[in-house]
Amino acid sequence: MLQHKDGSVQNHQHGWEPYVDNGGTSLAIAGEDFCVIASDTRQSEGYSINTRFDPKIHKITDKIMLATTGYSADAKRLTEVIKMQTERYFYKHEKNMESHAAAQMLSVILYQKRFFPYYVFPILAGIDNEGKGCVYSYDPVGNMERVTFQVYGSASGMIQPFLDSQVGFKNQQNVDKTRLLTKEEAISIAVDSFTAATERDIYTGDYLEIYIVDANGIHREQKPLKFD
Amino acid sequence: MSLDKVLKYTSASKTNPYAFDDDENFLKRDVTDNISHFDFKFAPVLKPAEFAKSHIDVKSQKDSLIKLAHGTTTLAFKFKNGVIVATDSRATSGNVIASQTVKKVIEINPYLLGTMAGGAADCSYWERELGRRCRLHELANKERISVAAASKLLTNMVYSYKGMGLSMGTMISGWDKKGPGLYYVDSEGQRIKGNLFSVGSGSTFAYGVLDTSYRYDMETDEAIELGRRAIYHATHRDAMSGGYVRLYHIKKEGWEFIGLEDVEDLYYKYNNQE
Amino acid sequence: MSYNGTAIVAMTGKNCVAIAADKRLGQQFLTVDMDFQKIFPITKKTYVGLPGLATDVQTLYKSNMYRLNEQRDIEPKAFAHMVSSTLYEKRFGPYYIEPIVAGLDKNNNPYICGMDLLGCMDVAHDFIVAGSADENLKGMCENLWEADLEPEDLFETISQALLNAVDRDALSGWGGVVHIITPNEVITRHLKARMD
Repeated sequence: MLQHKDGSVQNHQHGWEPYVDNGGTSLAIAGEDFCVIASDTRQSEGYSINTRFDPKIHKITDKIMLATTGYSADAKRLTEVIKMQTERYFYKHEKNMESHAAAQMLSVILYQKRFFPYYVFPILAGIDNEGKGCVYSYDPVGNMERVTFQVYGSASGMIQPFLDSQVGFKNQQNVDKTRLLTKEEAISIAVDSFTAATERDIYTGDYLEIYIVDANGIHREQKPLKFD
Repeated sequence: MSLDKVLKYTSASKTNPYAFDDDENFLKRDVTDNISHFDFKFAPVLKPAEFAKSHIDVKSQKDSLIKLAHGTTTLAFKFKNGVIVATDSRATSGNVIASQTVKKVIEINPYLLGTMAGGAADCSYWERELGRRCRLHELANKERISVAAASKLLTNMVYSYKGMGLSMGTMISGWDKKGPGLYYVDSEGQRIKGNLFSVGSGSTFAYGVLDTSYRYDMETDEAIELGRRAIYHATHRDAMSGGYVRLYHIKKEGWEFIGLEDVEDLYYKYNNQE
Repeated sequence: MSYNGTAIVAMTGKNCVAIAADKRLGQQFLTVDMDFQKIFPITKKTYVGLPGLATDVQTLYKSNMYRLNEQRDIEPKAFAHMVSSTLYEKRFGPYYIEPIVAGLDKNNNPYICGMDLLGCMDVAHDFIVAGSADENLKGMCENLWEADLEPEDLFETISQALLNAVDRDALSGWGGVVHIITPNEVITRHLKARMD
């Protein structure tokens, strides 16, 4: 509240903008018994790059990873909250949280801040209790959907139709549209998506992190993208 | 008899298991404790509700940073053999199609369905909460909740947040002692009983089809086809509706899922007939 | 640019160019027409795509036809400059259009050129996109386009780019049209698409 010299009180607050879009792109593709999660590591604000290496994918359990885009500070906080809750679940029940439970929990955590949301577009990905690859996508206030592939972030407009075509087999005749990709296919599509997006999107670039989650655990790869 | 004692249920309790950042009591709490979802966080400003409304765009009315998925055609109508519920499956944010595979029918329990229009998260969250309360009602009263009571529970829940920017237009339908039931409930606190409703950006198109052919004494096949055609025509003309037509039929024995049909296939099916 | 909804894309190939557009005309989220012309032939080897406000699409096309009464074919490059000047003439009350010119010049070399609404030209060697689905088209083209495609392969590439792009844009789609301009003929094909 603002108190003026003449004693009048200004009740009007304005201009408080608690959100910044830090750019970057994250995607996940589910396979039969694995999941590929990829993300660039650039973190920017307006036309300046804050850092070239700020990973947006985090391990939640041995089978689940969380990829984020949006406001980096909110994303980090959200990641901490989920990690904390899954860890508490582990100590209490002496087993890891299953992915469908973690997925629902993430939805509730996001909705708790319905009136002051996390500006984050989360993708929860990994393998489910049947050992199948799973991807859950969310809006900032917790609307959840299980999908086979999803991309969020500054280059999502460019990558999503490409995934529709190459992963969802949309607009193709005489193909089995329910076929899931092999690991090699999924990785190569993820890499192609990012190399193409980096050409045109100034907020995506620097390094590409790829995680492959399967029965053997979590495997990480890193590739350089363009630095310009 | 107190519900609390029977179920160890604490209503609208003081503790929020997810609220970890304010005190050390957090460590004593548990995710599996009776969760109260009613402890929402607000922005630290003088008018938190104004903040919420100005920063979150649920209806595509402003150019705010946080754009939520919305845009819909949903419908439900009563006829002699029960209730037909039909929806499209598209979510748009701005002019981007965020998803073509949204499930806009929420299965509250085997006898109750809710539909989703407006903010997707608002609908799914509150109707999930409604499902929990309906189950508690069953346990406490040893009988299923009526459609009237269920829809009223939902109205009361969202009414307490009126003016804070919730966006929800839903039809609660089901079968109880009195037969088929259908109510329209929205985030402004309205609750209307009726025979035929359509909600969402494509509802005007759906109403056009429904009003032309609707009769209470339709056969089931006819009623299902009417629901399908109404959604299909809405997806054709409304840019914010599309994807798949999802159909349900509510009977005495509970709801039955009729099917999911790609609008693209329906277009070429209907147009080759002529 | 997103009042009526459009997706237009042009691509170069080996001695050929392709230009494609969707067919929707809408008023914001209401679909009014599903067979609206957005690409216009200028000569036998030059086409122009006019994405943007529909009323200006028709006005601009007519004013350009009037100026073309020269009794000889105009080169795509010259035509692009003419469109550019026409736009700049309205510097302070512009046409809401971002035109795309695609054609083969007199040596049958491909020429494609995009513009902003004031006429700033962007001559590309690969592809040009515009309209409400431009971001989606950009992503598709960046992934699918390669140099020296033959006409049939170019058709397949541009069709896939268009169809998948408009399927993620609420304001464009409802059918598509593709023109492949080759030295001897122009192949025009209409694409079936999702009608939602």
